[in-house]
Amino acid sequence: MGARLAAAIVVAVIAAPWIAAATPGPDAEAILRKTYDNYRSQSSESTVAMTIHRPAWERHLELKGWTRGQDDALVRFTAPAKEAGSATLKLARDTWVYNPRLNQVIKLPASMMSQSWMGSDFSYDDLAKSEEIITDYTHRVVAVSQAAGHSVWTIEATPKPGAPVVWGKVTLNIRDDYVILEETFFDQDMKPARRMTTGKVGLIGGRPYPVSMTMSPLDQPGQWTRTDTGDARFNAALPSWLFTLSNLQNPR
Amino acid sequence: MLAALAWRNLWRRPQRTILSLVSIALVTALLVFMLSFQNGVYGAMKSATLRIFDGYAQLQPHGWADDPTLDRAIEQPRALARQAEGLRGVAAAPRVNTFAILAHGERSYGAAVVGVDPDREQRISSITSTIETGRYLAAGDSDAAVLGVTLAKNLDVAVGGDVTLLGEGRDGSVAADVLHVVGLYHSGVPDLDRTILEMPLARAQQTFGMAGAANTIALGGSSLAVVDRAIPALRTLSRRAGVSVLDWAALEPALRQGIALKYAVAMMFYATLVVVVAFIILNTLLMSVLERTREFGMLLALGMRPGQIGAMVWLELLGLALLGCLLGLLAGGGATLWLEAHGIVYPVDPRLLAQFGLPTRLYPALTPFSALFGPVALIAAITVGGIAPYLRVIGLTPALAMRAP
Repeated sequence: MGARLAAAIVVAVIAAPWIAAATPGPDAEAILRKTYDNYRSQSSESTVAMTIHRPAWERHLELKGWTRGQDDALVRFTAPAKEAGSATLKLARDTWVYNPRLNQVIKLPASMMSQSWMGSDFSYDDLAKSEEIITDYTHRVVAVSQAAGHSVWTIEATPKPGAPVVWGKVTLNIRDDYVILEETFFDQDMKPARRMTTGKVGLIGGRPYPVSMTMSPLDQPGQWTRTDTGDARFNAALPSWLFTLSNLQNPR
Repeated sequence: MLAALAWRNLWRRPQRTILSLVSIALVTALLVFMLSFQNGVYGAMKSATLRIFDGYAQLQPHGWADDPTLDRAIEQPRALARQAEGLRGVAAAPRVNTFAILAHGERSYGAAVVGVDPDREQRISSITSTIETGRYLAAGDSDAAVLGVTLAKNLDVAVGGDVTLLGEGRDGSVAADVLHVVGLYHSGVPDLDRTILEMPLARAQQTFGMAGAANTIALGGSSLAVVDRAIPALRTLSRRAGVSVLDWAALEPALRQGIALKYAVAMMFYATLVVVVAFIILNTLLMSVLERTREFGMLLALGMRPGQIGAMVWLELLGLALLGCLLGLLAGGGATLWLEAHGIVYPVDPRLLAQFGLPTRLYPALTPFSALFGPVALIAAITVGGIAPYLRVIGLTPALAMRAP
């Protein structure tokens, strides 16, 4: 009797890892990679309306955005008149801004990258370091839930040791069709500092897409920035002159 | 009667009494001078630091110190500044404070941009008088700017050059401007020389969409003490205007803490000095009490109560302490006042002193606290210590005491 119990325990202990390995959890990094591919593809061209809300006022801006691969992006504002022509170009790790009133291109100093981008709740870093969440963090699926006929992965991303990141932790909710639903940024004290939520998922360019996204700093009630994507094309061949300093200053 | 006896007893051994008096007086004088000197040096440090840029105090919108955004503004800065200047000896300078990207050619740096009224600023901030090349801003300037020497070096721009400024306006829109560099200042504070650009207030209000509003009002005046005295009046004024007043300690908390720490360390030293001297004096008196045991026995036999004798001994001690402290106060206070008028030249490299924001000539500052701390502490210590001889005396019995050797 005793021997049989001992044998059962031995079997259980030896077998446990195998049993666990037999039902592997989804690969968090692969999910993130797919989500970002779905979001930006090889290239993208989109029209976006941006609403910046403050307790005292609200502003509406319109912009056109182009991305190439994961590194390069160009954003050009088209409205209102006061901001029309303002543009931001990001190539790999460098960011430049163009101001039509000055007719001048300015390279952003590193110390200013955490500053607000065009007065919104996004920073230049959000634009420049979109890849950071994949490359500088380790990821883990911590929960799988069901919502509106989809399963939703909750992924916890913790910074790799020594990674040059400002957040203590980031959690993401991603739908099983690789649409990001929510992203929460925690500060170094592990308190949630800001949250991006997807308000509406629609079909754009033939794929499910987070059409409306809102970024809210959690310590500033009544303050948020919403982007509504009007139209987008993916994987179209974009001319390489698009992502150049001369095109930033003198758009063709 | 007891006091007269005590006084006579003190002068039965004039040598011993004078020696005791001298030690009390010396320590008192030393404490008065040291505390006054510390007062003076820290005062000089405070005003030197604050005079560079902060001002002796500031009026700020509520919450500005924690979250300085253009949204937090003083809508009627001119009227408020005028009211503040209605207080005697107070000068006020409204400022627009924000951050922007400065660019010159290929170079760009983040910097603090401060819109100032040149005439008013000259009464508050010594940046106006540390111009190394070119000139400071003047009334009537429009697209002019002065930069710290380090900031100018980083941007590779010289007097006569242009800097581009790109930031965010109060309404969230892009704020952009091109300014002509008219001067470079060298305040000697690396953080300021590296980060601050000053431009005319009206131009800054226009560029950043402030429409006549300001973010802070820096307050100065003839001295830090004058502005400190005006703080209660400023509080009343600011409550009505819906803004906050920050005094020097709130503007420079690190300086306040540094000074508090130095005082605490010095106080430990002073306390040790007081205790040591009190013990020396007590020891002397205890010896004199032992010497006079037979005499006390006689007095007891004659009908004096032990409590009266004890009080007499205690009065001797108190008289000694009072007289010694008075002499010390006169000597220390006198010397301090003389040095206050003439200054002390510290025999070190002036550049070293400048690093700590100190002038080459230091002036002690006699205050009621620095004058009275030493005497009061000494008298208190000696009075409390006097319990020991008192207890010894009231324990005496005539028969035994009279047989003492």
